[in-house]
This record gives sequence, structure tokens and C-alpha cells, in this order.
Amino acid sequence: MSETAVIELKNVTLNYDKNRVLDDVNFKLHNGEFAYLIGPTGIGKSTFLKLLYRDVVPDSGTVRVTEYPVNKISEREVPMLRRRLGIVFQDFQLLKDRNVFDNVAFSLQVTGEKPKFIKERVLEVLTMVGLSHRRKHLPRDLSGGEQQRVVIARALANEPRILLADEPTGNLDPKATKEIMELLRTINNRGMAVLMITHDYAVVKKYKARTVRMVNGKTQDLVWKGDKLVPVK
Amino acid sequence: MSIKYIVREGISGIKRTKLAATTSIFSLFVAVLLLGILTRIGFNVYSQAMSIKELVEVEVFLLDVDERTMDQIRQQIESEELVIDATYISKDSASAIMREEFGAGVEELAELNFLPASYRLSVNTDAGAESIETMVSRLQNIRGVDEVEYNAALLRVMESNLNTFSMVGGGIGILILLAALVLVYNTIRLTIYAKRDLIRAMKLVGATHKFIRSPFIVEGILQGLIAGSLAVLSIFFIFELAMPYYLPDLGLLEWPFGRWYFLAGAMLLLSMMMGWWGSRWAARRFIKETYISE
Repeated sequence: MSETAVIELKNVTLNYDKNRVLDDVNFKLHNGEFAYLIGPTGIGKSTFLKLLYRDVVPDSGTVRVTEYPVNKISEREVPMLRRRLGIVFQDFQLLKDRNVFDNVAFSLQVTGEKPKFIKERVLEVLTMVGLSHRRKHLPRDLSGGEQQRVVIARALANEPRILLADEPTGNLDPKATKEIMELLRTINNRGMAVLMITHDYAVVKKYKARTVRMVNGKTQDLVWKGDKLVPVK
Repeated sequence: MSIKYIVREGISGIKRTKLAATTSIFSLFVAVLLLGILTRIGFNVYSQAMSIKELVEVEVFLLDVDERTMDQIRQQIESEELVIDATYISKDSASAIMREEFGAGVEELAELNFLPASYRLSVNTDAGAESIETMVSRLQNIRGVDEVEYNAALLRVMESNLNTFSMVGGGIGILILLAALVLVYNTIRLTIYAKRDLIRAMKLVGATHKFIRSPFIVEGILQGLIAGSLAVLSIFFIFELAMPYYLPDLGLLEWPFGRWYFLAGAMLLLSMMMGWWGSRWAARRFIKETYISE
């Protein structure tokens, strides 16, 4: 693994129900880098992320995330790998019966942190996402954008090296999308690598960053040429 | 791993999924109550049978022998493993016993000096009818022994009935236990299924399987404790209040081993162990099969 890469896939092939989803994929994400992974629905973008947090394992090739050779580690090491990752989904995945504070605190409780530290850290990340004043509210009392900010706060609580976001703005209105994108950029500016899956062209265009497209089971880097994204030659 | 967190989560888990938890508690309660009733009735049947068996005595009737031979016979009798106690009944004592049993006028019917001297043996009836029969045939071969008598038929009937009862009772007990385990496993699985979002979220933030499982196990043990306590209370109610009132002829069925806390403790322990085992089994499988992205 190169010194600055936090994610590296080498010749990764993955089949799902006899369909080839990833075909000899090579990909790197460097420390502190922001990248979009784009492509039409069903092309395998989410499967790509699943490989990184070890919900699936490749049929061949190697996947490395930070210091973890993801496809070689034991089941016992998987939780340690996931603590290095902040994961954000489109469907929030907040616990409906717990308030904002507890939803975030919970990610630190599972790692066995002390209550005093948990309290301080939760307030810190909630302040970072602008929701410390809403800490006692239940998820149902929050807007979609606010709920997604809570999810991001939870993902940040463990100070991960990488944030993986799967369509984080997919369910949000333009105002909330703007808030989330600005938050992700702020997080990235603090040095955390961000890999975001989206099929929202407007977002990719407005908040420009490295863009990788999935096509025919392979990844392809794109660059802006005027108003269009074109493959890197 | 924070014990406080796990215990708190385990307790609040019951509150969060009240319906599923109630179902688990109810199935555990029914199973433990049935086993408790079976144990209490079974124990009483067993002790009754044992006390009847204890009435079985072996009588060794002697020929007219001298004292030296009588001592030898006594030594041989006492060397038998199954013999707990041997009481010598002389000819005179035999006549006295006959008079006592049949009334003062018995002399008019028969001469009493025909009664032989004998040894009356208390034997360990746990050994079973077959061992006693073997011992009896050994005693019969002792020089100076005229005849050996005991109630073989009663012993055999008791033994056969007890064996049938043990097999049927044991079979029912095992069936109840198995049915309860499957029921408990499935209801706890439902409880865990109701919390799949929590499990997914825990996996997402890097919780170990052990950590995810622990609150479910605490919850299972708590459910067992609640179900066991209810079953113990029900046993008290059934055997100490309801049965003496509605079925006074049956009399008061004794607690196994004479103390209430043996059965109550065993029921509580069994219930908690079933809760522990059911939740552990269900949680293990469910956690393993749950993926973050579904």
C-alpha cells in the first residue's frame, strides 16, 4: 500500500448471483482526499462500499483500508476495521427510541469509552454538526437534514480516518443537501478522507472534487472539461 | 466493555420491546411451572412408593437349632449387603406377637408353640426386587434355615409401577423442556428481530459480536428471573392454597426434600438458565446473519 493511500483495491473481482459486479478493479483514495463515486443505480457502487467495511468479500484481488487487509482479516478484527471508518447511509439508521445525544453516545459506548469522555466528545461532535441544542430530541422531531447531521456526528465520534457516505443527500431537499455537503467539506478540510457515493450530478458539479465513475464493473477517473465530466486520458 | 452499560441496556431492552419480552416471559413461565408441578407430584409419588417399599420385610424362619448354629446364621445374615437390621424373634416372642395380632382367644383355635423362631430383616429396598430375590435364595441355603418369606409380589408391582412412572414422568419432563427450549429460542429470536436496527447500528459503529450479544443475554436472564419467580409463586398458590381448598382429600403434597427452597431455587435457576441459553443461541445466530446493509 502506498504511504498516503487510506483505501487501496488491487485487481478486485466480485460476482453477485453469477453477475460480475466488479471486474478487476484498481482504486486508491489518499489520506485527506475527497472523492465521489458516481454511476447509475444498480451498477455496484454500494457493493464497492460494502467491500470496504467487510459486509462482502471479493472473489479475487486485495482490499486494504488503512492498515487492514480487509479480505484477509478474521471476523474478530472486523469491528476494529469498522471503528476506523465513519459510515453514513441515505436511510439515516438512527435508533428511533433514543434521543440525539444517546444516538451519538452509543457509538462510543460500544468501544468502551468512559462516560465523562463520552459526554465531552458527543457534545463536541454535535457542536461540529450544529446540533448541540437539539441533543435531547428524538429523531422523529428532527428534519431529514438534521437527522443526517446526527448520523454524521455519530460517524465522527470515534475519530475515524475515512468517512464513507452512501447517497447521504439522497433523501434531502436542496437546502438540507447544501448543509450536508458543506459539513462534509468541512470534515474533509480537517484532514479526513471522504468517499461519497452519489448519482446527483448537480451535487458533483457544485462541490467539485475528484470524481470516479463505475462503468462495466470497472472504475474510471473523470475530470471536468467545461461543463462536462470526461474520462482522464 | 462497560458492565453498567450492558446491564442498563439489558433492562431497558425489556421495556423497549414489551410485547416480545412478555411473550418470552410467558413461554418460560409456562414451561417452568409445568416442570415444577411435575417435579412436586413426581417427588411425592416417589416418596410414597419408597415408604411402601420400606414396609417390605424379609422373615427368615429357623429350624430347631442350637445357639451356636443360630449365631452362625445371624453372622451370615448380617454379612449380606442388603440387610440393614436383623431382629431375632424367639418362639415365645412369636407366640406373643401372634396373640397381640389375633387377640387373646387365639389359643383356643391353635396351639401357639408351633411357631418357629425367626429373624426379621429390614432390607435396603433400593437394590430392587431381583437383588432381594438373589439374597433370599442365598439365605434359604443356609444350614438351619427352614424357610424365607417376603412379599415379592408387592415389591415387584411397586418396582414396575415406579419404573413406568419414572419413564412416563421423565419423558413428559424432557418433552416439556425441549418444547420450552424451542419456544424460548423462537420468542427470544423475535425479541432480537425487533431490535435488528439496533444490531445493524452497533455493527456499523464497530461493536464486537460479544458486546452486541451481552445485553440480549442479560435480558434473557432477567426474563428467566421474572418467569421463574412467577412460576414459584404459582406453585405456592397451587399446592399451598388452591389444592388444600379444592381437593382436601389429596392432603398437602410435600415439598421435595422437605424444604420449599430446593424446588423454588431449582425452578428459578432452570428458568434463568433457559433464558440465558435461549438468548445466547438466538443472539449468536441472528447477529451473525445480520448485515449492515440490507
